[in-house]
Amino acid sequence: MPILSILIALPFVGAAVVALLPKRRPEVILPVALGVSIAPLAVATYLVVEYSVDGAAFQFFEHYVLSERFGISWTLAMDGISMFMVALTALLFPISIAASRSITSKVKTYMALMLVLEGALLGVFLALDLIMFFAFFEIVLIPMYLLISMWGSERRAYAALKFVLFTAVGSAFLLVGIIVLGVLAGDAIGTSSSFDWRVMLAMDIPETTQMWLFIGFGLAFAIKVPVFPFHTWLPDAHTEAPTAGSVILAGVLLKMGTYGLLRFNLSLFPDAAVDLAPILGVLGVIGIVYGAAVAIVQPDIKRLVAYSSVSHMGFIVLGIFALTSQSLQGSVFQMISHGLTTGALFLLIGMIYDRTHTRAIADYGGLAKVMPVYGGIFLFSVFASVGLPGLSGFVGEFTILVGSYLTLPILAITAGFGVILAAVYLLWAYERMWMGPVNPKIEGLKDLGFREIALMVPLVVLIVALGVYPKPVMDRIQPSVEPIIERIEVATGYEAPQFGRIADLDDQNAAAESSHEGGDG
Amino acid sequence: MQAGSFIAVAFEVTLLVGALAVLLVAVVANRNRAVWGPVVGLAFATSAVVGLWQWLEVESTGGGLFFSTQDLAFVRSPMVVLDGFSALAAMILGTVGFVAFLGSWDLQAKLGKRAAEFSSLMLLGVAGLHMMTATPNLVVIFIGLETASISFYVLAGFTRRVKGSNESALKYFLLGSLASALFLYGVALTFAATGSLTIYGANSIRNFFSTELVSQPGILLAGLALMLVGLLFKVSAAPFHQWAPDVYQGAPSGAVGLMAAGVKVAGFAALGRIFIGGMISQIDTWAPILAVVAVISMVAGTVMALVQDDIKRMLAYSGVAHAGYLLTALVAGPAGLEAMWFYLATYAFMIVGAFTVVSVIAGPGAASAPIASFKGLASRNPEMAWLMTVLMLGMSGMPFFAGFVGKVLAFVAVNDAGYLWLVIVGTLTTVIGLAFYLRIVATMFSKDDDGRDRIEVSMNARFAVIISAGVTFVFGVVPWPLLDVVRNAFPF
Repeated sequence: MPILSILIALPFVGAAVVALLPKRRPEVILPVALGVSIAPLAVATYLVVEYSVDGAAFQFFEHYVLSERFGISWTLAMDGISMFMVALTALLFPISIAASRSITSKVKTYMALMLVLEGALLGVFLALDLIMFFAFFEIVLIPMYLLISMWGSERRAYAALKFVLFTAVGSAFLLVGIIVLGVLAGDAIGTSSSFDWRVMLAMDIPETTQMWLFIGFGLAFAIKVPVFPFHTWLPDAHTEAPTAGSVILAGVLLKMGTYGLLRFNLSLFPDAAVDLAPILGVLGVIGIVYGAAVAIVQPDIKRLVAYSSVSHMGFIVLGIFALTSQSLQGSVFQMISHGLTTGALFLLIGMIYDRTHTRAIADYGGLAKVMPVYGGIFLFSVFASVGLPGLSGFVGEFTILVGSYLTLPILAITAGFGVILAAVYLLWAYERMWMGPVNPKIEGLKDLGFREIALMVPLVVLIVALGVYPKPVMDRIQPSVEPIIERIEVATGYEAPQFGRIADLDDQNAAAESSHEGGDG
Repeated sequence: MQAGSFIAVAFEVTLLVGALAVLLVAVVANRNRAVWGPVVGLAFATSAVVGLWQWLEVESTGGGLFFSTQDLAFVRSPMVVLDGFSALAAMILGTVGFVAFLGSWDLQAKLGKRAAEFSSLMLLGVAGLHMMTATPNLVVIFIGLETASISFYVLAGFTRRVKGSNESALKYFLLGSLASALFLYGVALTFAATGSLTIYGANSIRNFFSTELVSQPGILLAGLALMLVGLLFKVSAAPFHQWAPDVYQGAPSGAVGLMAAGVKVAGFAALGRIFIGGMISQIDTWAPILAVVAVISMVAGTVMALVQDDIKRMLAYSGVAHAGYLLTALVAGPAGLEAMWFYLATYAFMIVGAFTVVSVIAGPGAASAPIASFKGLASRNPEMAWLMTVLMLGMSGMPFFAGFVGKVLAFVAVNDAGYLWLVIVGTLTTVIGLAFYLRIVATMFSKDDDGRDRIEVSMNARFAVIISAGVTFVFGVVPWPLLDVVRNAFPF
């Protein structure tokens, strides 16, 4: 059964179903859309359960040739990295849809666009043919553009266009890179072109070509992540987008960039990756510190969380380009964790915004007295985002820092300060909004209802579960990132340092003993 | 005349008979549109079917040259050819003509009693366009070009009482005549240098290049350059595009779609036949020139389209950019023809559809269509807004829409030919282009503060837009059938 194709098709079919609902019954649209978005979640859950930890790296493989001549195929497969991205996508969409009660105009269009967006995102994480990947990568822009520009706040038109143009400029370089790479791959196997990722993986590309291709692909993904200095679209887009848009943008869309870096830049251009890794590592760390520093002074809570995303994504970039097995595992883990924590923060901000219609921190104060439950959940999310031990954010950031220390020690230490800065901006914002005397503007606000708490429960549970017992996740990430490192090692002669391996310790002990014996003799 | 060679001219004959029949029927039926309208539709539909028939004939027999020396003693070279190019052009032009006719129905309602002449000019224009694609003879290309151009000059000025329409027609006529003259002059000089008017075959320009050593290329180069300029002018490639925005803006919207789409199809078919068919041995000489023109077109068209406030002018400049992408495909040589045809086939529908929407929104005869008039279209007529979104995304080259496939094919081919910089410029202008296509989309989906009434769309216009958007979407998601067809359109 082509289960991955079905998974991608489900939201698109759902979008068509929603679009065909009668206009006179607006109240049924949200439940139907929610129901439809549960289906991919069910499939994704099935996939997570069925994914065999000891099996091949890529599972549920599907391959249908679309064009023999151009080497374009519908190739889907899932490894540990894509599996968690798919699961994250499938989880965040029902939550975002359920959180969209405040959307009252053109609900049908809104829900249909959300579902199209979900389908496209699932496609991005599963496609192993570069043309299909590009198609999904690019088509994501349209529903997101419409979501921001139709349901955003005041400066939505500006933010939406900025978002599209920034990312589309990146896509232009990506497309050039894909075309060049496709023709190269075609030469390698004797056809006019081939866009199969596996063909490209087996190819030996000259180093200068790799460098250019790395830059082309890297620009597209760096803008998407966003890596400093390409981040300027992000605060605008996040701030102006409707709540669900922000959740998806921060939770899933940004991960397209880091996913692309892992899947294409590291795997396909190993020489260039090794050469350019320190530069990107530095950019990642600049992002961590800069994002955090700017976040501190934001007067707008949504903008603050947006800048915190810049900072957190910097960790992921650092982890990717530290090029050790641990740092890559940490990055993938942090991709999941950031999706959950930032998703939770944006959801919570959306809930309060629905009540007060203001995002200015100065308009709040003493919120914890007015809305105790809300304050509790918010504090929890803040802790998760800061990286409190026992919650998921800690596991990701700690693994990244440990892994990065092996190759980029100075950067890793600098990045460590980012963790402190995160505590500063989030806790200070919490203090200003939740503590102190009650601001008269927010007196008498209703605390979270059952529905709103129910939305938060899955996120809270997962954040705790991943923080307390990350092993099952790590066990699935590790076999997927190790081939990447191995490929780099084989192709370039680079040796990724490792520690914490029992075997290594045994070797060292043996070596020590033998030298000891030798000394005796 | 060879037996069965009627098929080679069947397309033109169908349309000419149709054009005459419309005029006659209109007189007899007291110019009742309900009576002669179906005749026009039937003529276009039949011509599309004739195109299919020609295509099947080419598939089965390989087509051939007709009216050649063996047939008529006084003709020294073949005049009409039936091959993949002409048959494909027939199918595209016939269908696009049909769609454009449906789209112009609102305009015809406004024209009243003169509408029958309008329709017959459309038929004649398409016949002329196809003549350009179905001949290996330079003079016949010129005749086809003039037949089409003269029809379109008149169409552009058909709404006589609208000032812009007069301006448009006069500009089109003056500059268009200049271009035709340049082309003809080029033909004459080429004939002087090579002694042939035939592009390929016996005693042809192609043979000339392969047998003669050109010692003094001056006259030949001048001839080729003039021919090139003439055709580039017609397809509105920069820097020969200045007429397009004024003409598109002033001419009645119902007519512009056909003008824009048809001339591009025929012009590029002629360019492909002359340069790839006749002068493939000289590709190293002309490809860099076309590459430069392509870059200028893509950049100038995109940048100018950004700053337009009138959607007709914007579409005109975007057409300049599209000419650039089509030229990119030509630069790749024979390998790019497939991309060129795919692009032409889909772009023709997109532009006809887009101008139909414009004529619905801004009025079929209006000489201007400010982008602001699209404000709030999503609530005034959601169906049109969504279809227009599909057309705009198609033109912008978004994946899953036909424009993407055409562009990628062109870029892959031209990259294979060693023009990576052309690919880079092309993708960058595509991105910048997104800005103005999305601007239309954003305008349509923004709130309409004036609270204007719902826009009612006539059945025919609706049908035209649905077909165009359908083509854009279907061939964007499943391009393979069309790709298989265009691949076989390679006659040389």
